[in-house]
This record gives sequence, structure tokens and C-alpha cells, in this order.
Amino acid sequence: MKPAADDALDQELMAAVARQDGRAYARLVERHLGWSLRFVERMVGARADAEDLVQTAFLRVWQGAARWEPQAKFSTWLYRVLHNLCMDHFRARGAPTEALDEALPDGAPTSEERVAGTQRAARVRAALAMLPERQRAAIVLCYYEERSQAEAATLLGVSEGALESLLARGRAALKKHMPEELN
Amino acid sequence: MDLTRFKGCAEAYGADRRRWPAHEHGLYDRFARTPEGAAILAEAERTDRFLDALEVAEPDEALAQAIAGVVKPRRRRTLWWQATAFAASAIIGFVLGFAQVHDDGNGDVVTQLLLGPTSVREIGL
Repeated sequence: MKPAADDALDQELMAAVARQDGRAYARLVERHLGWSLRFVERMVGARADAEDLVQTAFLRVWQGAARWEPQAKFSTWLYRVLHNLCMDHFRARGAPTEALDEALPDGAPTSEERVAGTQRAARVRAALAMLPERQRAAIVLCYYEERSQAEAATLLGVSEGALESLLARGRAALKKHMPEELN
Repeated sequence: MDLTRFKGCAEAYGADRRRWPAHEHGLYDRFARTPEGAAILAEAERTDRFLDALEVAEPDEALAQAIAGVVKPRRRRTLWWQATAFAASAIIGFVLGFAQVHDDGNGDVVTQLLLGPTSVREIGL
């Protein structure tokens, strides 16, 4: 979890962004772009879509800074913006239908190990895409982003007990898509 | 009962203690090294290893610049500039108004106003 000093700095930067301070905005982007992109890419699967959604999210930060009230941490608020954009993206696209085999990449291999790694990543991406959105979001937040149970539950609008249930069901569903050597 | 709870946590949070809720760390420590607990964690670790295969590249500099560059910051106007503009407008307005009211057809009223009647006579205007 981020230290409180970082949260205070985020609040200062947001106050400056509310005054249309471009340099404060660039600093805010620099601080939060990395995890934002990781989160969205693991949610939607495709890098290009993730980049588009993250750009939209930061534009909303710029446009909404004047109305932002620091009742929650900035990062929690940004998570919510990103999460909502992911949900809109899923609604626009419909449920994922991509089969696991179709998700495996083609192309000329440069080395066996690299290809194997790419294929494993594609398999995980496809398996995550098969999960219901809330289970996927719970796994991305808690497993990959290592957010606390309280923060992830707040973001998803569920109790910590319900979050645990989402995680357990999501992980159980992933097992069906795991390769033989891991089962 | 505790082992059931241990299994429930492993199925939700995986095999890494850091991902478990802080209030369950004692439970983790109590069972992790027992044969039953170790077997449960080994099962959870398989899912962890599967998930670990999905790495995401860091954003490149071009994306950061594109995001930061898309906004148009409001230009900051300093008070002295606003004050100077206001004063210049007031002077011009005063001069033009004065010229309209006092134009008696005897020369350039604006020049008289700026240089004074004496100065106008001295330089032969």
C-alpha cells in the first residue's frame, strides 16, 4: 500500500490540476500511468485497447479535477474510473468469445523459450477473459496489483467476504484452463 | 475448523502470505508447515504460477507524452499585465473622449492634449 505522504502529494497535484496546471498533470500521469496500464491491460486483454482506455481515464482526471473531492485516495478514485471504463468497454464489445486456441499467437519464433513464454501469457490472458468481469477484476486487483482486501472490496462495491468469494470462484475457474503440467 | 479456513484463504488469496489478509497471517503461520497445510499451499501455488505467466510491459515514454500533451492548460495571466491593459484602455478612452468634446477646429486636439497648448505653439504646429 502507498504511504500516506504519496496520498498527500496526489492531493496537492490534483489541486494544481484543478487550476489547469499542465506540469502537475504531467507529474500525476507519470506517477500513475504504470499501474493504470497494467490494470487495464489485464482486464481487457489487448494492449491497444488498454492504452485507449487509459488515455480516456486521464482525460477525465483533467476535466474532472475541479469537481474532485478528496474523500478517498486519488488512486482509489482513479481505479474506479478505470474499472468503469473497462465495464463500458465490455458492454460495447459484448462477452469475450475468443477460444483459448485462437488466442495463441502465430509468427516466426525467435527462440523456443520466448515462444513458450508468449504462449503461456496468451493462455492466461484468454483464461482471464473467460471469467465474469467481477471475478477478473478481483483477481487483477488482489493478485496482480496486491491491493488490500479493504481497498479492492471498496472499489468493487462489495464486502470483504464477498470479495473473498469472487477470488475463490475466479481461481477455481482458472484451473480449468491451466496447462497439463500445472495441473 | 481452522484448517478449513486455511484452505479457504489459500483458494482465494493463493500461496503467498503477503496476499493474505493481515488478520489471517497467524493462521498461515500455524498451518503452512504442517503436511496438510503444505499440500493446500502447493495446490494454490500452481494457480499462482499460471497467473505469473502474464507479464505486462511498462508504458513507453510516447504514451506518457501523448497523455500529458493532449490537454491545453489555461494560460496564466499575471495581475500586472491585466492592470497595464486596463490602464492603457482607460487612457485611450479618456484621450478620445476629450478630443471629441474639445475639438474647436484649431489643430490637432490629441497632440495638444498630449504635449500641452504651450508646447504646440513652441513647435509651430
